[in-house]
Amino acid sequence: MTAAAKHSQAMHFQARAGEKVRNPVLQRALQKAKPLFVGKRAKGIAALADDALDFETLRSACESIRNRTLADLDVWLDIFEERATATGAEVLWARDGEEVGRLVVDIARRHGVTKATKSKSMLSEEAHLNEALAEAGIRPVETDLGEYIVQLAGETPSHIIAPAIHKTLEEVEALFAAEHGRPVETRTSADIPDLTREAREVLRQHFLTAEMGISGANFLIAESGTAALVTNEGNGRMVTTLPKVHVVVTGIEKIVPTLEDFATLMRLLPRSATGQSISNYVSLLTGTKREGDCDGPEKTVFILVDNGRANLLGSAYQDMLRCIRCGACMNHCPVYFSLGGHAYGWVYPGPMGSVLTPLYTGIENALDLPHASTGCNQCGSVCPVRIPLPRLMHRLREEQVERGLRPWSERFMLKAWAWLAGRPALYRWMMRRAVRYLNWLADDSGRIRIFGLAPGWSAGRDLPVAAGRTFNELYKARKRA
Amino acid sequence: MRLALYVTCLVDLMRPSVGFAALRLLEDAGCEVIVPEGQTCCGQPAWSAGERELAADLAKKAIAELEAFDHVVIPSGSCADQVRNVYPQLFADDPDWGPRARTLAGRTHELTSFLADVLKVSAVPGAFDGSVTYHDSCKGLRGLGIKRQPRDLLGLVPGLALKEMGECEECCGFGGAFSVKFGDVSTRIVDRKCDSIAGAGADAVVGGDLGCLMNIEGRLRRRGDETTRVLHIAEVLAGGDA
Repeated sequence: MTAAAKHSQAMHFQARAGEKVRNPVLQRALQKAKPLFVGKRAKGIAALADDALDFETLRSACESIRNRTLADLDVWLDIFEERATATGAEVLWARDGEEVGRLVVDIARRHGVTKATKSKSMLSEEAHLNEALAEAGIRPVETDLGEYIVQLAGETPSHIIAPAIHKTLEEVEALFAAEHGRPVETRTSADIPDLTREAREVLRQHFLTAEMGISGANFLIAESGTAALVTNEGNGRMVTTLPKVHVVVTGIEKIVPTLEDFATLMRLLPRSATGQSISNYVSLLTGTKREGDCDGPEKTVFILVDNGRANLLGSAYQDMLRCIRCGACMNHCPVYFSLGGHAYGWVYPGPMGSVLTPLYTGIENALDLPHASTGCNQCGSVCPVRIPLPRLMHRLREEQVERGLRPWSERFMLKAWAWLAGRPALYRWMMRRAVRYLNWLADDSGRIRIFGLAPGWSAGRDLPVAAGRTFNELYKARKRA
Repeated sequence: MRLALYVTCLVDLMRPSVGFAALRLLEDAGCEVIVPEGQTCCGQPAWSAGERELAADLAKKAIAELEAFDHVVIPSGSCADQVRNVYPQLFADDPDWGPRARTLAGRTHELTSFLADVLKVSAVPGAFDGSVTYHDSCKGLRGLGIKRQPRDLLGLVPGLALKEMGECEECCGFGGAFSVKFGDVSTRIVDRKCDSIAGAGADAVVGGDLGCLMNIEGRLRRRGDETTRVLHIAEVLAGGDA
């Protein structure tokens, strides 16, 4: 079992999904969020026309930048390492999450770090970096507001760009009251700025005292050895400029060749994520503090992480490495918005998670996820880098079959059905029997209310039944007449 | 023009009236329609489950019995998507079946797309006294680009008023085996669809895929809505006595 698989709960998807569907507080939070996400993106994409830009053209450009990079990933990584090193940064490589933990703890110890501020990084979730730091006696402080909430609650992010989307205002108020040592108050959405200010005041102290800042990177720009950070709260700047040590932890696939390429991708990343034409902050972080600079880290370390990514190169799943983590796929997913992110059991939820979790933690450890899709392709149609998400989930289903990982009962049913469908005369005869059986099961209003053959269906739905004779029978009778 | 009507296994078993409605629409438009007797299932359930070989077997069967026709018409976006988009993918590298799959794909049409885009019908036999709201099925909409066609055709029905629901392009949660495997998640999704339908306040909800319609009807009735009719678009266009 891989290190990543150890922490995955994806095998319990079915059970967790049931729990989440029946959690009214969670359902309320999700109901509220979905139209916001969908509406904002739609506006953002529509506004491309104001700049005489077109979504499909830009999509093609973004897709091709990502494909071009992946085709020569090793070369771009070498160039990045060389240029980043030339600017005074150090570049380290990590095979997996455990190695990330070891490297970061080691850097922290060498620089006498007791507290590290963090800006959002999903890769640090893959690596369980906060646990590794805490075990080494170093306090990690999440500074993205959503991440801060999730950390206080002792949970994990349930969305890649809105980590605390599963939390209601009341829950956040209770958490803040406990953490900030004050009585619980009755809050409305008008009080959100007050709550935010409260968090900012607490975080400000951490920003000023932490010796290390840890961030992810939305992109690594090869030509200049730069990390690009796309944020809205400003915490990213505090984390990457105030402490004396800055560690960037990111995946090897995040690289783009040039600043020009980065600019093109930026046309779609914020729009796809939050609908903004550009995020509040876009930071390009290169090298260390130079003579005369008033701030910036004295030491910058890039930790470039594989954790399963290299295995996807040249595989049927390489398209997945184009992902720029905008979250649009989950924001448009009917399954995600019925469950929230925690049901998926590992770091990444929604359609991209249903592809990445089995690939990074083992196909046999996440059997439900590729099936947890209606095949609606709402994800694929909004993806800014045209990842064919339903096709990748489908390929994973095929791989489960090829590796004998599907339940025998399911395989038997499908084989029997296909065998029957290959014998038209017998099939017609069987369907005639079946339609009579269904009719016998139905009540006076022509509905089956409890259907033993598919209890999953009839738990929430009636099964409407019609004629009592198949089309084939009726058509023959009509022709005879 | 020799035209085959592929009624789909679901229509054969669950709602033959959809097949007869499609037949009437095509004949009314002057087509000579043949319903190939050997038709069973296009193989989509096997394909969706990842059973590539089973899906390929059923695809070969369908290709062999349908390829001789000038056109194949299917009253389902989902099954039409299977023939148009999946069959060529299944046999992409097959020197024999590949070209045959691609030829059939090019000749296969979802019903409303055939009526509107190929036949360009300007009248339909049906009449409807009341309002309907249209649910865009995912495979038809995102797989085949069907959006305008059903609405244009509904516009030809005397007495019919179209009342669009909110989020008409949202999935209804059916997804074939998904609705059985993840019944509670599927129910949660179709609940949202039922809310949208209720919001539209139409006399009937209409769609182009029987799977989605059974899912929607099943949930509406379980929720206690006994009045909103759930109809396949073929039934509406062809009229009541199809």
